[in-house]
Amino acid sequence: MVSHGEFMINIQQITKKYPTATALDAVTLEVQRQEFFGLLGPNGAGKTTLMNLLVGYINPDSGTITIDGDNVTQDTLDIRKKIGFVPQSLALYDELTAQENLEVFGQMFDIQRKLLKKRIEEQLHAVELYERRKDKVKTFSGGMKRRLNIIASLLHDPKVLLCDEPTVGVDPQSRNAIFDFLTSLNKQGKTIIYTTHYMEEAERLCSRIGIIDHGKIIALGTIDELLEKLAYEETIVIIKNPLTAKNRAVFEKFGTLLEEDDRYELKPVEGFLLSDFFAGIERKGIKYSWVELHRPTLEALFLQLTGRRLRD
Amino acid sequence: MKQIYKLFKSSYRIFWNDKVSVALTFIVPLVLVSIFGAVFGGSDSGPQGIRLAVLNQSTSPVAKRIESSLDTIKAFQIIKSFKTDSGKTVVFDTLSIQEYVRNGKATAALVLPLDTYTDTSVGLYIKFYYDPKNDMEMQTVHGLIQQVVFSQFPSVMAQSGLRQAERFLGIKSGGVFNRNMASLIHKYFKVDTNIILHPQLSDFKIVGNDSTGGAPNFFNNIVRIENQQLIGKEMKNPWATRSVGGWGIMFLMFTLTATSSSLFDERRSGVLLRLLTSPVSRTHILWSKYLFNMSLGMIQLLFLFMFGCLMFHVDIFSNFFNLMLIIIAASIACTALGMLIAAFSQTRQQANGLGTLLILSMSAIGGAWFPTSFMPSTIQFFSKLTVVYWSIEGFMEVLWRGVGFISIVPHLLILLGIGAILNLVSLRRFRRGHIFD
Repeated sequence: MVSHGEFMINIQQITKKYPTATALDAVTLEVQRQEFFGLLGPNGAGKTTLMNLLVGYINPDSGTITIDGDNVTQDTLDIRKKIGFVPQSLALYDELTAQENLEVFGQMFDIQRKLLKKRIEEQLHAVELYERRKDKVKTFSGGMKRRLNIIASLLHDPKVLLCDEPTVGVDPQSRNAIFDFLTSLNKQGKTIIYTTHYMEEAERLCSRIGIIDHGKIIALGTIDELLEKLAYEETIVIIKNPLTAKNRAVFEKFGTLLEEDDRYELKPVEGFLLSDFFAGIERKGIKYSWVELHRPTLEALFLQLTGRRLRD
Repeated sequence: MKQIYKLFKSSYRIFWNDKVSVALTFIVPLVLVSIFGAVFGGSDSGPQGIRLAVLNQSTSPVAKRIESSLDTIKAFQIIKSFKTDSGKTVVFDTLSIQEYVRNGKATAALVLPLDTYTDTSVGLYIKFYYDPKNDMEMQTVHGLIQQVVFSQFPSVMAQSGLRQAERFLGIKSGGVFNRNMASLIHKYFKVDTNIILHPQLSDFKIVGNDSTGGAPNFFNNIVRIENQQLIGKEMKNPWATRSVGGWGIMFLMFTLTATSSSLFDERRSGVLLRLLTSPVSRTHILWSKYLFNMSLGMIQLLFLFMFGCLMFHVDIFSNFFNLMLIIIAASIACTALGMLIAAFSQTRQQANGLGTLLILSMSAIGGAWFPTSFMPSTIQFFSKLTVVYWSIEGFMEVLWRGVGFISIVPHLLILLGIGAILNLVSLRRFRRGHIFD
């Protein structure tokens, strides 16, 4: 058995209640050093509460959290030097320039002036904002602000980076740039916890994922481990047209059928055989080209576990 | 038309749900109108409790009647004695009464000297010492004193006329002359001859202020009021010297409420969260805000006084050290008020609404717009609980009266005390409030 001290982040039996709801209910979670851990869950699942507890912004009602061996609830000011936190909102001063923002936030960590200046330059180069360093943040695009929001959390070179949905409202190009940057940080040795309600992000970035819902971790593991929990190995996507629509009953014999705008998604039942399925649709004149086999997603797992979709 | 109606209706729904707008639309004007009404329009309106020191050295009945009349005027709080340092109560003399005004303990002093009205007097002689630190109040005092003095004038003039006739014509012939004059007046004006020959105060009344309007010039030689301004004679611009503090404090409170409310913007943007996830505590944030606001307040006030000095020749340098002390104390108290408003609000809009209500009300009752003596006694009590009142009084002490450190100690202590109390309350509230949630 691994002792708690060996994990970079160790959360044991954390409970946090608000007057109207229990945000976290006896959550236990361990994150390895240099791991890229994803916390996936719908809005209101408890992700942000867990992040706020990790950074010591709020205190738990019960349970313990240690980061790099230090108890978060007892030693918050010093422990914060080990943590970089990227909040969900754009926590920047719009009226200051990019460089001024970084100076303001960097100074809080008692970094030597020269070293801070060097790190600011490095980070601005890393996210391709160096040329815009003297422009006011209010003139930046959403993607630029997001990148600045991330590097503002890295100036003190933290061991742990906590990202709370850092790509909200970002265009795909900027999102990819952010993903690449975070991946490179992880490769450099930083432990990252990344919360999101986009399963694609979790799947792309994270080596291990915890699925959280109603304040509880309902599934935990690598993507392969999580998908093994599904009762089927593939999702069958059928293009929606008059003929497939007429034959819905045929598909439903093989599993649960979900209807989307332009397609049906079939989640097969246990003991499902592809040969039986194709034989069945062939008899109804449905073309093979209208059917695609997909690897199941975390969305499907979430649906199986909760009966709801991630974005509901 | 239907669409216009729908939009019109939804505008009301949105307005009604915005409690700050509702408060600003109805409650703020209501409060201010009530204060103005209490000052200028109510049954209990008009100035009250203006401190007037009175010394009556004369034995004449006229002087006695003037003294009695002053006692009945509700605008005045008549003071006839003072307490020495040893706590002994002493009746004023001509020097101590002037010192009393000079020290700001009374707005003005009226001295009825031995020769106010003697058997050989042609008219009345009165000494009036005043401190015009508040122009509006001083005009009122002047007006009321003139009214009282000139209400005695008809009897004085009649008596004087009778005596003059007897003096120049001899008692016998003068008596005949007076009786003949009285008969003629009785014949043509139907006035009782007894009233003319034996004039009393009650027999002659001057009704309304108009009677006194042109009187000073016309009766200059008969009613002689010797005016002496004790304070502020050398001021280059008395108006600016008196006003700059009040206006400065009002704007200072607006500035500090706005900057204190910046906490809400920082919370909304997430900056507060980012700061609190660095080695910064809530106490650090609150203290930094407090120090920033306080220093900004000091700079703003100093800037205003400098401007007053350059543009309006307000003398800020002859008592600069004490002025700075009041500026610091006022900034501390106003900052504490701004932080309190932020602590009790849940949004910036709420803070702005509450701030506007409090600042305008406090400016009104604290004496920034008109003298507190014009307010009902109950409101005057609340005036003394405001930062505005003590700041303005402090500025007047150092700029108008040019007092030393000892004299402003009470002002400093009260302002710092208010600041400390408001800070304690706001700190408690910040710990329990929503700003850091």
